[in-house]
Amino acid sequence: MTEKKLGPYQTLKQEGTYKIGYDKPTVDFKQIGKRGVRRYDGFEKASGKALYTRDVNLPGMLYAKVLSSPYARARMLRLDTGKAEKYPGVRAVLRYDDPAINGQELTGSIAGTTRMAPESAGWAMLPVKTILSDQAIFEGQMVGVAIAADTEQIASEALKLVKVEWEEQPFILDKEKALDSDAPKLISGADSNKIADEDRELTEQGDVEKGFQEAEEIIEFTARRDAHLWAGAELPSVVARWSGDKLEMWVHEQQPYLSKLILAEQLNIPMNKIHTHSLYQGCSFGERCNPSNWSQNGINVLAVLLAKKADRPVKLVLNRAEKFYGFSGDLMVSQFKVGARRDGTITAVQMNNLFANYMCTTGVEHLVENTKIPNLRCEGTTVFVNKPPAWWNRCEQLPNVFCQTLVFDHIADALGMDPTEVALLNDGCEGRDKSYLEDFQRENGFEPRDSLKECIAAGKKAIGWDENWHPPGTRQLPNGRMHGMAFTWSHDWDDTRGTGSAAVLIQNDGSVSIIAQHSDVGVNPWTTYMQIVADELGVRYEDIEINPFDLNVGFALMSPDGSCNLGSNGYVVKKAARKARRMLLDLAADKFDLPAEALDIEDSTVFEKANPDNRMPVKDVVKMAVPMLNAVGIWTEPPVLDWAWHTQGLWGMALETGRPRMCRQANFIEVEVDTETGEVCVTRVVNVNDVGKAISPETVEGQMYGGTYMGLGRALAEEMVWDPATGVLLNRNLLDYKYATMLDYPASDNIYIETGLGHGPYGSTGIGENTATMIPALLGPAVYNAIGKRIDDFPITPNKVLKALGKI
Amino acid sequence: MRSFEHFNARTMEEAVAILGRYGDRARVIAGGTDLLGKLKDEILPKYPEALVNIKSISGMDYIREDNDVLKIGALTRLEDIAVHPAVKQHFGALAEAAGRAASPHLREMGTLAGNICQDIRCWYYRYPNNRFPCLRKGGGRCYAIEGDNRYHSIFGGTVDDGCYAVHPSDTAPALIALDAVVRTTKRTIPLEDFFDVKVSATTVLDPDEIVTEFEIPQSPGKAGSHFIKFALRKTIDFAVVNCAAMILIEERKVASARVCLNAVAVKPYRAVKAEQAIIGQELNESTAEAAGESAISQATPLKDNGYMVQLAKIIVKRTILACA
Repeated sequence: MTEKKLGPYQTLKQEGTYKIGYDKPTVDFKQIGKRGVRRYDGFEKASGKALYTRDVNLPGMLYAKVLSSPYARARMLRLDTGKAEKYPGVRAVLRYDDPAINGQELTGSIAGTTRMAPESAGWAMLPVKTILSDQAIFEGQMVGVAIAADTEQIASEALKLVKVEWEEQPFILDKEKALDSDAPKLISGADSNKIADEDRELTEQGDVEKGFQEAEEIIEFTARRDAHLWAGAELPSVVARWSGDKLEMWVHEQQPYLSKLILAEQLNIPMNKIHTHSLYQGCSFGERCNPSNWSQNGINVLAVLLAKKADRPVKLVLNRAEKFYGFSGDLMVSQFKVGARRDGTITAVQMNNLFANYMCTTGVEHLVENTKIPNLRCEGTTVFVNKPPAWWNRCEQLPNVFCQTLVFDHIADALGMDPTEVALLNDGCEGRDKSYLEDFQRENGFEPRDSLKECIAAGKKAIGWDENWHPPGTRQLPNGRMHGMAFTWSHDWDDTRGTGSAAVLIQNDGSVSIIAQHSDVGVNPWTTYMQIVADELGVRYEDIEINPFDLNVGFALMSPDGSCNLGSNGYVVKKAARKARRMLLDLAADKFDLPAEALDIEDSTVFEKANPDNRMPVKDVVKMAVPMLNAVGIWTEPPVLDWAWHTQGLWGMALETGRPRMCRQANFIEVEVDTETGEVCVTRVVNVNDVGKAISPETVEGQMYGGTYMGLGRALAEEMVWDPATGVLLNRNLLDYKYATMLDYPASDNIYIETGLGHGPYGSTGIGENTATMIPALLGPAVYNAIGKRIDDFPITPNKVLKALGKI
Repeated sequence: MRSFEHFNARTMEEAVAILGRYGDRARVIAGGTDLLGKLKDEILPKYPEALVNIKSISGMDYIREDNDVLKIGALTRLEDIAVHPAVKQHFGALAEAAGRAASPHLREMGTLAGNICQDIRCWYYRYPNNRFPCLRKGGGRCYAIEGDNRYHSIFGGTVDDGCYAVHPSDTAPALIALDAVVRTTKRTIPLEDFFDVKVSATTVLDPDEIVTEFEIPQSPGKAGSHFIKFALRKTIDFAVVNCAAMILIEERKVASARVCLNAVAVKPYRAVKAEQAIIGQELNESTAEAAGESAISQATPLKDNGYMVQLAKIIVKRTILACA
């Protein structure tokens, strides 16, 4: 059979589709892996010069405010906006019964998410509109009316003049009571508060009954965890400006392209008429990655409609309290049954997980993906409660690492074994032992390395595990506190389906532009792209620039919506740089009168390989190669520019995709528990990550530092407190909601290992989400090791410790 | 935030005169760290029409050792008190309390007078836009009793109206333990008598009365003082429980003791029973423990704050021991 000749589209697709195997370096690393590379956004952010969405001020711009529900569940019987409409300075009033809202399929409706897989839509699956509904299903929900006025204060004052007649309805906050037959039903007329999510209700591997029969030790326990807030520093914000039928948007989002798509679908605005800017961003952590979310598409839609109505630009910024209405997808209670043989081999794990508002992940996935446990069964149930949406928050893997950490720690303890040994014994992939991974490494060009073994060895040494670890509740320190240590582990974060595109243009003066929109997600991505382009193209790092703030350039790099940034985008810029290099050498061949193959580029200079003295700066090579030149009679050449597209494309079970996760991580912690006050003092955290290859070592460590603080705060202090009588969120401010600060805990010790076993460029794998996700559950085992009493109820606050100790 | 008149007073007399003109429709502002938050959140039913800035009055920011007393100007910032050598040496409890209040930024703004005049902490009272019109705002009920009261009073509500919101000041218990008095534009008040529990008020001050100075007697003999704060975070939180104590030991026995808790009751709680328990005793683990027990002997915790009783007991014990 003759091979089908690929056309240009199929060629691009083939070039851009991830191919399994080690991505070997094709160039010498100069910038890649180097410390001390100047951070792309460092000066602007540190100096306060960086501009954020709310800094945008346009001539004639109005400010918008939205009414929020004071009740956890209520229906609007009457809405009187008469006085507000007449208030001086009010320019537009948008009500729920406006034809632009009423009957439209906006965020919160099922149809509004047609481009997203339903399981990814989460809260958006709710069959109740969450943009300006006349029904509230959580306190703080945007309801009824939005107002645009000359100033923020006028908009606020006008909102106070809106009269609402509410019918309060019974509500439910407690997830464990939500399925009771007499529980108020969140959706009027529904039989139950259960959310159907067929894909995740049952996960099975092997036969757990058989596994429990083979077990010599079986334990059962229950664990609970409260979700934490999804918020970061920057407030949800948007600016919309109409000019005729053209719409200009400034958005604070991880995926502006998707939000543009949703605007096009929901408001019927052609995508090519929407010009979107995404400036610097003060946070994301996943909160800004659900384009159909009410605080994202919701505010976009309101700003767009108000701007149309008023025929003026409109800025809508939610305030700090309004930002509190959303939380991580691990508001859950789990029942576990674990069976193991006395040698530490786990034979079966059964878990039953109850989630509220959204089942991000089942809870069993990491046990599937990085253990050899043959028999697993996980039942999942999701219920509605009258709380705001749950969503991915610095990783949807929270339930999975929570369950893995507790399963391993409880069973190791029951067997009287060192948990690091139990981990090593059960390392594997989808029920297969490590030989499966070893075969894969051999067959696909990876180094034969045992990632978990290396991570554990490094971590144990750093924290002094062998000298200091002890049976639970057995070591009191001279200061009177009880000493505790704990360990957990998991695989690398490489669950991406990332797709992106970018161009590399060599400007007429020899400087290099990476052309693509890419949302700022704070993980120093742009520096790493520039490092890769520098090495792949052969130009100086200083000669490269990226301006990632404008979606109208046509290319867009994905942000970590699929928990991936460099892992996918690194390939994009690498390929684009290599293609641009081909173009540059092709042009240079003409100038040197040599074949392109005879030339190389280094330090922004093209030279003849066989005669390096024969050289020409890149700027001279491209002297006449321009996108345009407005000078009659001057001879010009086409620009040196090429672009690439890449998709990781593979996600899911290793046996289906042929792509198991091979890198591992290990996290160690040491605490002192004050048994009189219940205070948990964290004295040391050691994070060990096999990152495959560190493109930017400081960025790797930065993520580990930041993740540690975020994780410790989640574990020990962060808690959303709801008034039981009214369903009102009581602590929606940064004093009463307790994020950890850098002074609250000691800095972590961060160790990275480079096995090259990652599926990202140069064998790298992710580091952005891991630490913050791994640390919270680890505090449970650490406190248990200290006091000998289990507190499987997170966050672990002093009152719970005192209760476990029988002090109250 | 809504708009209001703003006066930069040049003298205390002028400030008092402006307050007199506005009655209860004006507020005094110095550091503003408590007041501005309240105004932004519009927690009260009435919004002040005017703010009288007293930072513009010179000479109100000082720490002076004067004969047998330490004098501190009302506008002295918390951070300046925390690091002052004389305060650290002779009035340890106050230096520690000032240094643990709020956060580093707020300590550079907040004043000592503002710290004792700050409003109560209760997440119902402080909820924006007067969502919970509670007793302290002249409303009909307390929402905390049936609500989440994990940070509320363990020593009962006020007799008159049943408010369980705690007084959060860190410096107030220290000043009470140190037997300080406060001077105002009208009078001199022992710190202990300064606090009150009324609708829209936490102090005995009249609407046109302003704190001007603190006086702390030099401790008799070699009394030691100490302050301990228990909070969920080290950096910024209000205390769950705090305690200050000043103890004079003569011939190895406690000759006099002043112990004051805060954040556990509607106003600073002088733990008289704890004082009685140690006076005449040697100061050691077991007598301190007994004092801790005595301190909480009259506690009546609510449904969510039983742990605060244990914390109060331990913090009293540790504070007393630290005075030795």
